[in-house]
Amino acid sequence: MTAASAVEIPNPRDSVAAKTLRFVARTPLHIFLIIVACLWMVPTIGLFITSILPASALASKGWWQVFSHPSTATWSNYSALFHNHGMLTALKTTAYIAVGNTLLVVILGAMAGYAFAWLEFPGRDWAFIGVIALLVVPLQMALIPMFKLYDTFGLFDTVLGIILFHVAFGLPFAIFLLRNFFVGLPKDILESARIDGASEIVIFLRLILPLGLPAIASLAIFQFLWTWNDLLVALTFGQNTTPITVWIASQLREFGTSIDIIAPASFISLVVPLCVFFAFQRYFVQGLLAGSVK
Amino acid sequence: MSAGGITAEPPVVAAPPPSAEPGRLGRYLVGAVFLAPALFMLVVWMVYPAIYTIVRSFFGQTGFLGTWVGIDNYKTLFTTSTLLTAIKNNALWVAVVPAFVTAVGLIFAVLTERVRWAVVFKTFVFLPMAISAFATGVTWRIMYQQDPGLGAVNALGKTVSGVFSPAGVLSSASPSTPGLQATSSGALVLKTPAHPGSVVLLGLTGIAPDQVPKSAAQAVAPAAKQGDIVGTVWRDFKPGGGKAGVVEKQELGLPGVTVDLRDASGKTVQSAKTQTDGTFDFAKVPAGTYTTAIGAQTFAKPFGGYAWLGPKLIVPSLFIAYIWIWAGFAMVVIGAGLAAMPRDVLEAARTDGATELQVFRRVTVPLLAPVLSVVFITMIINVLKVFDIVYALAPQSEYGKANVIALAMYFTAFQGGGNFGVGSAIAVFLFLLVIPVLALNIRRFKRDA
Amino acid sequence: MTRTRIGVVCITVAVALLAAGLAGAGTRSHHHTGQNLAVKGTITFDGIWTASSGQKQFADVIKLFNKTYPNVKVNYKPVGDSLPTVLATAVAGGNPPDMADIAQPGTVAQFAKQGKLKPITYAKGTIAKNYVSSWQQLGTYSGKLYALVFKAANKSVVWYNVPAFKSAGVTPPKTFSQLLADAKVIKSSGTPAYSIGGADGWTLTDMFENIYLRTFGAAKYNALSAHKIKWTDPSVKTALTTMGKIIGDTGNLAGGTSGALQYGFNDSVTNAFATPPKAAMVFEADFVGGVVSSSTKAKPNTGFNTFTWPSITPGANASAVEIGGDLFVTFRDTPAIRAFVNFLATAPAAEAWAKQGGFGTGNKNVPASVYPDAITKATEAPISTAKSVVFDMSDQQPPSFGATAAQGEWGLFQDFLKNPKDVAGIQRKLEAAAAAAYKKGK
Repeated sequence: MTAASAVEIPNPRDSVAAKTLRFVARTPLHIFLIIVACLWMVPTIGLFITSILPASALASKGWWQVFSHPSTATWSNYSALFHNHGMLTALKTTAYIAVGNTLLVVILGAMAGYAFAWLEFPGRDWAFIGVIALLVVPLQMALIPMFKLYDTFGLFDTVLGIILFHVAFGLPFAIFLLRNFFVGLPKDILESARIDGASEIVIFLRLILPLGLPAIASLAIFQFLWTWNDLLVALTFGQNTTPITVWIASQLREFGTSIDIIAPASFISLVVPLCVFFAFQRYFVQGLLAGSVK
Repeated sequence: MSAGGITAEPPVVAAPPPSAEPGRLGRYLVGAVFLAPALFMLVVWMVYPAIYTIVRSFFGQTGFLGTWVGIDNYKTLFTTSTLLTAIKNNALWVAVVPAFVTAVGLIFAVLTERVRWAVVFKTFVFLPMAISAFATGVTWRIMYQQDPGLGAVNALGKTVSGVFSPAGVLSSASPSTPGLQATSSGALVLKTPAHPGSVVLLGLTGIAPDQVPKSAAQAVAPAAKQGDIVGTVWRDFKPGGGKAGVVEKQELGLPGVTVDLRDASGKTVQSAKTQTDGTFDFAKVPAGTYTTAIGAQTFAKPFGGYAWLGPKLIVPSLFIAYIWIWAGFAMVVIGAGLAAMPRDVLEAARTDGATELQVFRRVTVPLLAPVLSVVFITMIINVLKVFDIVYALAPQSEYGKANVIALAMYFTAFQGGGNFGVGSAIAVFLFLLVIPVLALNIRRFKRDA
Repeated sequence: MTRTRIGVVCITVAVALLAAGLAGAGTRSHHHTGQNLAVKGTITFDGIWTASSGQKQFADVIKLFNKTYPNVKVNYKPVGDSLPTVLATAVAGGNPPDMADIAQPGTVAQFAKQGKLKPITYAKGTIAKNYVSSWQQLGTYSGKLYALVFKAANKSVVWYNVPAFKSAGVTPPKTFSQLLADAKVIKSSGTPAYSIGGADGWTLTDMFENIYLRTFGAAKYNALSAHKIKWTDPSVKTALTTMGKIIGDTGNLAGGTSGALQYGFNDSVTNAFATPPKAAMVFEADFVGGVVSSSTKAKPNTGFNTFTWPSITPGANASAVEIGGDLFVTFRDTPAIRAFVNFLATAPAAEAWAKQGGFGTGNKNVPASVYPDAITKATEAPISTAKSVVFDMSDQQPPSFGATAAQGEWGLFQDFLKNPKDVAGIQRKLEAAAAAAYKKGK
């Protein structure tokens, strides 16, 4: 992670007294940062605690009062939710969409990225400019026409339809990111492989993909999180096929009492992205940086 | 979060020039094979729809290319009040949020730069980035509830305000007779003047049974006392309402209320506390005309909480939640820029005797300018497309006030509205707004390539 | 999960399998006459009930159905409040569910006109046996039977907090002026009288509709529902002004006007039946009962009770009942669907839910004794006995006007709650929105 490079390297010539002095001088800073960090966690913790309180307790007391009445906490909301057929189906649908989209974007993006980086064909640069132009196109531009087209081709309200929409809008970034990463790979390795008579497919599978793994990992995590967290696309193209966000949204009308469904379901919906985030934090940040700074 | 939106200004390295080798046609073919699937997706899902939407925006609300309406849909966009609110709100988003996100990110990045536990801090602040904007909406909806007993934000406000202006013992009470009048300060004053020997009845209603002190006993209207002004403060209510201004059976005295005796000039000359039966006694009052009053502090309202999700505050509430999500992104990107900065320049400035603030303003910020602008532009794109959090956080009764372009587009085209013509026009308008960034990206690529 | 728990689960599963196996064997050897194994298939069903508002009860109805038809699988999907628009999109997208529960006759009429629905003529016999003819009419569009009104809710009900009424010393009002007088007394007792769930626009339209029905009667009510009377009509002005006497009494609303706008339906119920109460009464349909028992500690009779919407104009209007109903429609026609629809029209199907409360029906063969308690009986019985029954007005109108969040009627009544003085302005906006919606519907 980037913070590692920012960690201060202690100067061996510093005396203990100087170190102590500096530490004291910086105490207010530490306190400030601790407060900010805690404040930043409050909403997430609040959601979690809300999710483990019964609805009747929440109607009259704030979630933080669990600290004085720990006995009110219960897992019953969660156990009820895991017996809820609709929620489990929604969770499964979410997983299908997120995984399917991630795989497709990575494969298609890597292929195109490789073509743009190392293969020659006429109009390559122009095509790439087109990809760059597509980077910022809002997906609202495609909702209405694709709604019609999906209707015609039977893709409406299918997992595949939702996946393909995500894939298309994930591709410009994927191609862009991977092409830039592949371009930076050492040219001589590729050249010697070609001289050895390896086909482009073999080079792609045996050389490019393994070497490009860091960038591919970043991309995969981004895509996974993006589709897992999506609301708008699924809201538009799914009616019976709904991921978890849309499922929770359909429960929202009852906000207030069915908070005992919404809160735990929301928390479940964010557990997976959080795990992915913590497990692959390094790649996540790398992808972010690759996408935004030189 | 939008995958496309994450990138504002792409860094680009030129691809190696195609080498002139034999079998060029075959190589072209290989390139085409590698490119075809992605190209197919892009053309069918992005290029074709974009053209369709632009064309569609000049046609009426239903039917494929039904009725040509010219620019009527765009006129509708700029004359319908809910759509105008959406455009105005988005302008406000662009004006406020990117600047705040960048500023907060910069502050956090600089402050944590030389802190050992920065990783922990950054993880905490960055964590909301992994959560869906929708779940964030649900989360903040819980935080923003108006009742300070339920919403954490208002609970904090209540704790703070409780220190400065504590709630009175009878905060919800109101006078039972028109003779007892509220002053501008919130005190209740009995209009009828009192003299030594008078009996003063101060009846109050609107007090819930559980707010009546436990020690309260049946109210008593005291007998007149020579030279004293006596009276009673009581809950002038019994089941069914009772007779206003008359102390009746089943009506309870209100103990512990401070009653002031004011002279003709309005100056308080005596104060008395009520007994369990509500009675009080101003002893040995010199002859003259007096008024009786119950001080404003008795009725001070407890902090009722701000309506964060109400019409006035819903937009700022959305901003706060959104900044909560994206500050981590800005911090990490700016932090990386900071780490890549030449140390010697900073050290040189410090050696020259510049204060930390001067170093920050004169050296750090200018050197970081490219990174800051990347964050800023990325955020502009993101807030132009903002949708999920508004959908989840704003109560339905405030969709009108919280409206943004993406939400308006969805509602117009798909929810109830069913108007594909105006929906397309809104989408095209949104597209026009991101075109400057699109042009910037292409210029950058051309320059670098 | 602990080791013992796993053990228990394993044993349970084993026993269940064993039992199922034995039952299966039994069926085969004894030719169980009650079961129909020939009808097979899956039915997808989109409904408005979510986990907290009826999904479980409907699952019990399905369970009972499966006792006779074990080979038909009904997949119920809770869509919630946005069902009309979700369904409209699904139908437009060419992928509707097999069956749906639609609360809006306006939507059903629209689908019927577009030819998207399959007639349920095959169930006519069963329906005739169980419902009086006016209920068949509710499901008939241009001469064909398309819908079964499986569930009906009495919307002319007010729920009140018994201790709050007691401590204020008031009794349930019979007339509107008594209601206002009671409200004043309740306020003096220290509890706001009204709990309004204004974040859900439909709670406000329901209140308006009851006022309009009680003031002008069923005939005029139906005329306004069909937009044969304009929203700028003086009668609407009268009804809105009457409504303003309730929602304009800011100090008497739980949480004041701003609170009333933010509380949804469920909040309005929990507010009224919390201890101590935050308000004394809620104007909503029979389904309030379900929320009271699931999310508050209030008990029937000692904690909560109901009274009929107070009369405004004396006479016949006082006993008219406004109902909300769930119209079951079919988008496909298969033996499995036919079996299910026929089953739903029978008394046992209705009883499976009715005995759990929160359920009313026009099914005349459901005995009043099936309702679990006196309160339920009091709210549900009038549905099949009332002389004059009208359908929820906003549900009869085009969905873009009568049933879309933050738009049309729902949004405008929320505006009215914000500013109850602006009667003329709201009338104008309502008429404009209604005119646009009806024009589009044509």
